[in-house]
Amino acid sequence: MDFDLAIRITEIILALAFMQASAEHLSGPKDRACVKDRWLFVPRIFLCLLLLAGYQTPWVCAGLVALSVLILQRYQGPYNGGSDRMGLLVLSCLTLVHVLPSQLLQELAFGYLGLQLVLSYFMSGWVKIVNADWRNGRALGDVFAFSAYPVSEHVRNWARYPLLLRVMSWAVMGFELIFPLCLLHHAALVAGLLVAASFHLANAFLFGLNRFFWIWLAAYPSILWLQDRLF
Amino acid sequence: MLPALVPSWRFFDMIAPSPRIEYRLFDTGETPITDWQEYRPRPRYLSIFAMAKRMVWNPNWNEMLYLVSCSERIMAGEQDHSARQIQYCLRRDVKHQGGYDALQFRLVFLHREGEEIRKDVGYISPLYPRGNGVG
Repeated sequence: MDFDLAIRITEIILALAFMQASAEHLSGPKDRACVKDRWLFVPRIFLCLLLLAGYQTPWVCAGLVALSVLILQRYQGPYNGGSDRMGLLVLSCLTLVHVLPSQLLQELAFGYLGLQLVLSYFMSGWVKIVNADWRNGRALGDVFAFSAYPVSEHVRNWARYPLLLRVMSWAVMGFELIFPLCLLHHAALVAGLLVAASFHLANAFLFGLNRFFWIWLAAYPSILWLQDRLF
Repeated sequence: MLPALVPSWRFFDMIAPSPRIEYRLFDTGETPITDWQEYRPRPRYLSIFAMAKRMVWNPNWNEMLYLVSCSERIMAGEQDHSARQIQYCLRRDVKHQGGYDALQFRLVFLHREGEEIRKDVGYISPLYPRGNGVG
């Protein structure tokens, strides 16, 4: 994938993901706390519209970084853990791409995002496979049985099928660990990203993690470009 | 910012005790007028259509996940801000229930012990009088 095209697609998906999350923040009751939130999320939507339009992108990115710091301060940390962290990472790399002076440095910044995307899968697989509870399926059983994530009591029933959970655990760990090998061939990478997106989609349906789905998609162009650049 | 720029990506490396928020309401004499009840219990069933809709619109669930983070932060010692956030959401959501003068919440943690899932109380808040706006 061409560098400029990959950057542009990243900007568009990131802007849409930030707008979706901001709109959710603004949907609360109109009381004091929400007024405070409006000062953060209305400007964020406005900046995202400028990012979508491709207008003054370096300044827009810098503005979004500043707002992200204020949002971190407002919630004393990330609002939605990993998805907020990935959002900040994508935004930071994008900002660096627009402010760094040379093509080489810009490519390094965008390549760092691609590298972190690969690590996001590989490290998640590694920390699971060294844990016996993940290898025997019990950890995934616990996620369904008593974690805060299942979206309904009906979904909790999956905890009753230990064999299925063991197969699912190994499928998730196996995919996460072999994901870096997808870099070796373009078709393998496209297939790997489709599987990964399906995995995020399943997490969004079963555990309500919708923001993860959109924000991880925003990082996909970086790995498609990096694969073209390296191989 | 640093954890975002150099992330560890240790998703679900271990399944930690999982918090639930429970609350009860009090009258003027500081006598509870309700039992502890779970805050925002999950629905029994959610259709595929409802799950698909949540892909683009999921504010309540994402707020609940934030309150789970706040619960974990309280147990890690960061009590002031996180307790205020939980208190604010509770107050907002129970304000339609008249006839109470104060509320209190507690954090219960579900965890596995052998084959059994246990529930332990990890934190009990002070009484919060009705009407103090928080943000």
